Formats: sequence, structure tokens, C-alpha cells
Amino acid sequence: MSRVKLTEWKAKQLLYAELGKKYNGISVQVDKKSYIFSSPLSKLSTKKEYVVKVDQGVKGRMKKSLVLLAVKRNDLTKAFQKLSQKGYTQYIIEEMLPHQSQQEKYLSLERTREGVLLRYSVQGGIDIERMKEQVKSVTITDTLPLSALKEMGVMKSEFEAMRELFEKNYVSFMEINPLVITSSGMQALDLAVEVDSTAEFFIKNGWTGKDIVEEQVKSIEEQKVKELNSKSQAALSYTLLNKNGSLWCLLSGGGASITLADEIYNLGFGPELGNYGEYSGNPNQEETYLYTTYVLQSMLKSKSKTLTLIVGGGVANFTDIRTTFKGVLQALDKFKTKLLKRHVTLFVRRGGPYQEEGLAMIASWAKKNRMYGYVAGPELPLHEIVRLAVKTLPKNK
Amino acid sequence: MLDISYLRKTNHRIISIGSHPGILQSMMDFDYLSGKSEPDLKAIIASGKKFLRLFWGGQEKLIPIYGSLQAIPDALKRETSLFLNLTSGRRSMSSTLEVLSGFPHLVGGTLFAENIPEKNTLDIYQHIGKKQFIVGPSSVGLLIPGHLKLGAIGGTQAKQLLGADLFEPGNIAVFSSSGGMTNELINLVTGAGKRISFSLSFGGDRFPLLTPIDAFRAAEKDKDTESIVYFGELGGYDEYDLVELIKAKKITKKIITYIGGTISEMFETPPQFGHAKAMAARGEETAQAKTAALKAVGVHATSSFTEFIKLVQSLPDEKKKPNNEREKMVKEMSHRTASYFINGISHDKDGSVEILGKDLLSLATEHSYGYVVGSMLLGRQLKSKNTAEFIDLVMKLLVDHGPYVSGAVNTMISARAGKDLVSSVVSGLLTIGPRFGGAINQAAKHWLEGVEAQVSPYDYVESIAKKRGIISGIGHKKYRVDAPDPRVSLIIGFTKELKQTSYTDFATEVEKITTAKKGNLILNIDGAIAAVLLDLLSEKEGLTEKELLELVDAEFFNAFFVLSRAVGFTAHYLDQKRRDEGLFRLSPKEINYIDKL
Repeated sequence: MSRVKLTEWKAKQLLYAELGKKYNGISVQVDKKSYIFSSPLSKLSTKKEYVVKVDQGVKGRMKKSLVLLAVKRNDLTKAFQKLSQKGYTQYIIEEMLPHQSQQEKYLSLERTREGVLLRYSVQGGIDIERMKEQVKSVTITDTLPLSALKEMGVMKSEFEAMRELFEKNYVSFMEINPLVITSSGMQALDLAVEVDSTAEFFIKNGWTGKDIVEEQVKSIEEQKVKELNSKSQAALSYTLLNKNGSLWCLLSGGGASITLADEIYNLGFGPELGNYGEYSGNPNQEETYLYTTYVLQSMLKSKSKTLTLIVGGGVANFTDIRTTFKGVLQALDKFKTKLLKRHVTLFVRRGGPYQEEGLAMIASWAKKNRMYGYVAGPELPLHEIVRLAVKTLPKNK
Repeated sequence: MLDISYLRKTNHRIISIGSHPGILQSMMDFDYLSGKSEPDLKAIIASGKKFLRLFWGGQEKLIPIYGSLQAIPDALKRETSLFLNLTSGRRSMSSTLEVLSGFPHLVGGTLFAENIPEKNTLDIYQHIGKKQFIVGPSSVGLLIPGHLKLGAIGGTQAKQLLGADLFEPGNIAVFSSSGGMTNELINLVTGAGKRISFSLSFGGDRFPLLTPIDAFRAAEKDKDTESIVYFGELGGYDEYDLVELIKAKKITKKIITYIGGTISEMFETPPQFGHAKAMAARGEETAQAKTAALKAVGVHATSSFTEFIKLVQSLPDEKKKPNNEREKMVKEMSHRTASYFINGISHDKDGSVEILGKDLLSLATEHSYGYVVGSMLLGRQLKSKNTAEFIDLVMKLLVDHGPYVSGAVNTMISARAGKDLVSSVVSGLLTIGPRFGGAINQAAKHWLEGVEAQVSPYDYVESIAKKRGIISGIGHKKYRVDAPDPRVSLIIGFTKELKQTSYTDFATEVEKITTAKKGNLILNIDGAIAAVLLDLLSEKEGLTEKELLELVDAEFFNAFFVLSRAVGFTAHYLDQKRRDEGLFRLSPKEINYIDKL
């Protein structure tokens, strides 16, 4: 499982459909230099005022000035340009709903082990974080939280519709802030919905993978690993931390990768760490090859004079070390000339099924290609490989 | 609720849902090296094959595969105490719920899949009984040294299991969200000369079905556990729940822990480190805050791995028992290879051939030919004398039916063309099929279908007539209802020894209907053999309807014709050789030429 955000535009479409209302918002996507609109702007009225918001799952948009209020139709393009300068590519246009700030309420639903946790407050708005004491909460199991609904002025039928949406779409968390109640029921001025990305298979007539907010991806390699992960049974992740780092990692296992990263940080070499990420769940040779390729590509772009690569991991339960290392070596071979030119040193610590064969393979390759730093199995304590590797780096970092 | 002491003193029967040969083999190896007389793994629910071949020590063993939970024999359903679910995230919920309701004495299990939606996990959570437990999702499982391995935990190679000393119980409990770190810690503990009491991984999802707190409680309750080694991560509040339990003196055993994730301090908005759960949104969820809170209540908590290792090493040592015997076993296991074929008919034993567990000589001297043939074709010794006698008769009755039939003609032509024995007989055998000699099997299929569907013989005949089909086993060129085939009454006579004759009854009922239409549509010798054989196999040999259907699919009922008639063809071959008439050729008169169809 992992929680991902839906675009506000899609989330509102789903919510308003469930409430039996029409949603008039328009989504805007910047593709290169042109805009793609979900419906033409010419249909909008020149008399009315609109709100333009960044729709990329950013928290605290108001405070970050990512929401532009009271925009006239003819000024919309200017508004997008203003937001594009900040590096954003997806927006939402909605009609302004005139209201008093005292009308703003807060409501959220979250999936917990005990049931669905309803949090609510009759005072909402951008300062909700500071008004934590006023937020009440109740865990819903079978019955409706009638007194909470009465206090909030939320209609029973509308709340039931929200719950329906919550279950049908495998929602993990949804938050309406501000929530304004008008004569025609609830109006979600801002809506944030997090769903479980692994549930896509189970959803009928709801969200799809396309509705998930695109995080601001930093590098091509991060994008590539993301794609690779989505097609694989195994788990592969990659984050670029410092593009000019000197210490690069090919780590396996969620827990072991943290331990190794911690050790780098604890020894004071955190700023030198180029990347974080891990592969686990027995990826095949091809997947390991591609994953390694992306790490090496990133590493070779670094301007650091020293380049050190740690291939690290715990003692695997079922990940085949021989097979995964074959993939690693295939990628190392591909970049051999470039790696040699940059005097890359290789440090390896790994255990698991077929570790002898895997470790022997990588040790002999590293020695033959003059990149050998150290190769060890479980006889070397996990974190010690970091201690050995950082010795290659210039001190006083 | 996880009760380690109970699990330790109970023998288990495990069902795997889905198959992962590496993991299942490692569980077999674990049991073998633990000195068990048979593996805990009893069956697999999966599609495809009937069996999975796995090694039990150096020998291959067949683990039955069932297409569904319903197909598992009731006795095994009652005996099943644990499950291992290896299906994908998409199938995990439905299959787990099915397992929870399908096995009445189920104690617990492991959920292996990653990518189970949290809503589905919580649905499963609602269905776990008070006395049951499930580790996972995305868990490598649960391990009790020398007793239970439920998942990939500890490794998938026999060598790994031995290296980590997983056969002698100790007094240190080891757990973590991370499967990899669980195994790393097992190796760390055992490498330092200690041994573990039990170990598990709860998996890195947001809602583990068995929570870290459940694991701590289980360790507290377990008499054999004296201390706990735990690898935690940033994110979540489990450690604070632990702090409360320690304050309330509900957890009193020594705990050594490392909370990973100090590196996230480096970032204003940290990237996702480690598992899904490990997203430290708030101050209290950071590794540093948790470590401090645990330290404050006396836990040996650290964020330095070096110190963590020292703490583990400071635990009291346990005497290692020499493992020579097991080392030898593992060495032998490393040389095992899967066989190309498996068979259950015959093998060499002490230089002589043994057929179906009996040496050939006694089989030949103590039993009839019918008994030998019937037993071998069925793959086990016949239980009933009646079956043996019947097969003996059938083998004789089918031996020849004159030189005019296509198989005999083919054999004679080949013989006259100067071909050898095998070629000539085979050319005769090759004509056996849907129109010649293949009727017994087809008739068996009719009688089985009819009885199984419980249709009236009249409706059955009508349904085939409508499709303009013919019923095999019905009809004869020469014999008629008023001039019956004497062989048929001989065959039907065998039903006198039977209490249940549903197939023969059905066949004779069909005959009544067909002969009413036309006099020569009588039950012929093929149909009679099929019907009586079905009744014999069902009553005297105890075969189920499903097993009978499998025999039809494998053409079992045609085998008697093929074997017996081979004698007839051979006779015709030898006869032609004796007469030495030379090459046979037809003249244009005998093969007409008509150019248009």
C-alpha cells in the first residue's frame, strides 16, 4: 500500500457526483508551452470572478501564494503564467463562492484501524493547524455521528454520500477545508483526497492512475525508476538527494537501506550522499540491470571529484543474490569505461540465497577493473561497509 | 492473538495458498533438518498441476495441489492449523477471508503479498478470530527455531538456515517491520553466539495485522523468551504504545532496539525512507524522538548501529551444540537434483524388479494375468477378485473379432509387404480410434455422464438424437434384440456380485429405449464392458466419480482393447508370414474412380 493524492479536480468531480450536484471546475494542464483545458474558457462568464489554484497536491497553498482569488476571465492566462514561473504545471479554475470567513468550517475523514476517524470544527480555514484544540474527533464504525453532523450543519444524506465515496474509492484520507454550508448543502472550497495506490485494480467508475497527482520529479532517473517499479512485482525506489554527491548507493531492503543511510549521516557524510533508494522483493536480472543503470547514470553526472559506490544490503530471505548481482554487473560493464575514467571505487556488503556465487562474481569483476574497495558477506557487520567506504572520501566534509 | 508457547508445543499442518517453490522448499528443508518425520506443509491451493515436486531431504516428495479450497478433503480441512498466503495483492483479501472461514481449527498464518490496499487489510483484520493471528501483509513470516517456519523468514537455502543456527531454540525474540532486517538481526544474534526463541516480521504496511505491540506482548508472555531485539523505523506511534506498556509494567523483559531513520533530520521535507509506514510527518515520529522516549523508560535504545551490535553482544551467550549431523545432511542436500520423470509403477529393488510394491516373480506366480493387467493399469494393486476375473475375461473376449476389421487388414497387408513384426502390428494398432475399437472409452463416458447428471435414460437418448449423434456401446451389425450377443450376457453376469449397479442399470435402460426404435440398437460388447467395469471400479475398487472421469480422459477403458487385440494382430501377422503370399495389391476394379463428388 501507499497513499497518493488525487488531483483536486478529479476528487471534486467524484464528490459532487456522489452528492448529486454538478461540478463546474476546469482543469488546466501546461504541456510544454501550451495549455490543455478540460473545457474551453470561452464558456466562462466575463462578469463572474474565479479562483485559480495549483492542483499538484501541495499543502498550505494559500500561505505559499499558490491560490489566486477573484480573477476575471480575461486575466486567467496571466494567472497561469504567474504560477508557471514557480514551476507548476497543473491548475484548477473554479467560480468564486462569496462567503464570510466565519462561515468556513473544517471536516476530514481518515481510515484507521478502529474505524473511520471524523475530525471536524465549526471554525476552519487556513489557520486550522493553529486551532487544533477546537477540532473535535469521533471514530465512526456502524452508526452515523449525528450530533457532530448537527453541530456542523451537514445534511445526513450528504454525509452518507461522502462515506460512500470514501469506501468506493478506497480513500485513505479526505479533508475539506474550508467547508461552507449554503442553502443548497455542502460546498467544498478546497478538497484534498488521498487514496491507496494499490487499489486501482478494485476501483470501478472512480479514479484511475491518471488522476494521481504528479509529484515534482527531480530527474530523469527518478522518473525511470518510478516507471520500472510500476511494472514490476518487486519494489524499486530512487530519490536523488544531491546531484553532485560523491557517495552513491545501490541498497536493498527497506530496513537495511535506512540503517546504511543513517550510518552515512551519523559519520557526518550525509551531505555527500548522492541518492537514496532501495530494491527488494527479488527483482529479476533485467530489472536489477535497469535499476543499476539509472543509479550509475545519475552518479556519472555528478561533478564530484571522488565517486564511491556502495552496493549494500542485509541478509536477504528470498532475493537471489546471484541473479540480482548479474544484473548489477551487466550495468557496471556497460559503463565500465566511464567508471574507470572517474576512478570509481566499489564497496559491497550483502547476504542471502546464493551469496557465495554473487559476491565472488562482483569481487572478481571489481578487481579485474581496478575498482575494488571491499567485498563482504554477512561476516562483516552491515554498517561497517559504510565506515570502509567513507575512507575514500576527502575529510572535513 | 499470537501465543508462542502454544505454537511451540503443537504440531502443525500448513496449507499454502499460491505457490512459490523457493519458499515452500525452504520450509520443507527446515522441517527435515529439524528432525520431523514428515513436512508440515500438507497441500497447496493453486491452479494448474496436480502436485508440486519438492525435496524432503534428498528425496523428492509430491505435495498435492488443489484447484480451490473446496476441493481439499474434509479431514485435511479439519486438521489445518496454519496457512501461508503467497498470492498477489489483488487476490490476497478474498483468499484470506476464504481461508479464515474454510478451516475450522485454524490458528494463524502469514500474508506475503505487498500491494494489498489498506482497506482490504482492515477488512481482513475484522475477520481474525480472538485466538487467531496473521503476520503481514508483506511479511516474510514467523519462525520458531527447530519447530516452525511459516514463510521465507530465515532464508530460502538450507545452507542459510544452518548458518543462522535455526534449529536449537534460544531465549531472544527478534522482530522488525522489515523482512530483510529481521533476517539480518537473526544472523547478528546467532553470529554473536546467542540463539533466538522466535522471530517474525510484521511487514512495512501502515496497518500490520499483527502489530509491533502484539509481538512485544507475545514475547512477554512466552516463557522461553528472556530478551527482545527490535529494529524499528521512523514513522508511526507504535514505540509510544510500547513506552506506555513498559510504564504500566506490562512489558518487563529486556529490550534492545535500534530505530532507523536519523538521516531524515537532514531534510526539511524528507523523502520516503524505507517502508510505506516510515514517513515521519510529525516531530514525535522521528527516529530521534522515539529513541529518546524509549531510553527514558529503560529500553536499551540507540541510533548508532555500532552501539546496537555491542548491546546485542552483551546478552548472555548460549552454548552452541555441535551441528555435525545437520552439516552432513545439508551437504547431501546440496547434491540433490530433480528427476526427469516420476513413476509409481515399477522400480529396481536390490537388483530385481518390483511392480506396485511386489516383486515380479511373486506377482507372476500368485496372480492371474487379469489381476496383473488391471493392477498395473490402475496404478495400484486390485482390491477385488471380481475385478481381476472380469478383466481376465475381457482380455480374452477382445482378442480377435475376425480378419475383416480394419486393424487386422492393415496388419496382414503390412506382413505381405514384407514388413517386420513390430511395424505390422503397429500398423494395425494405428487404426484404433473413434471408429474402430475406441468405443469402450466413449461408452464409459456416456454412462458416467448420464449417471452423474442424474438424467433419465430417455432424456439422455433424446439429447443425443437431437444432435444427430450416436451412442457408443449401442448397436451391432449382426446381433439384434431377438438374436442377442452371447458375450454380452456373459459380461452382464458379473454384476451379480455387486450391490450397486447404477452404470449397468443406466446402460440397459438406454438399450430398452434404443431397441424400441430399431431392433439392432442393442447394448453391444463395448457398452457392456464399459458399464460393468465402471460399476466394479466404483464399488469394489472404491474409485470416486471424479477419479473415473480422469480414467476416461486418459483413455483407460480403451487400454484393454489395445492390449488384447495386439495378440490378435500378432496372430494375423504370423499367419500371413507362414502363408508367404507376396505383396498385396488391389486392381482398378476394386477401387472405383468417380471424378466428381
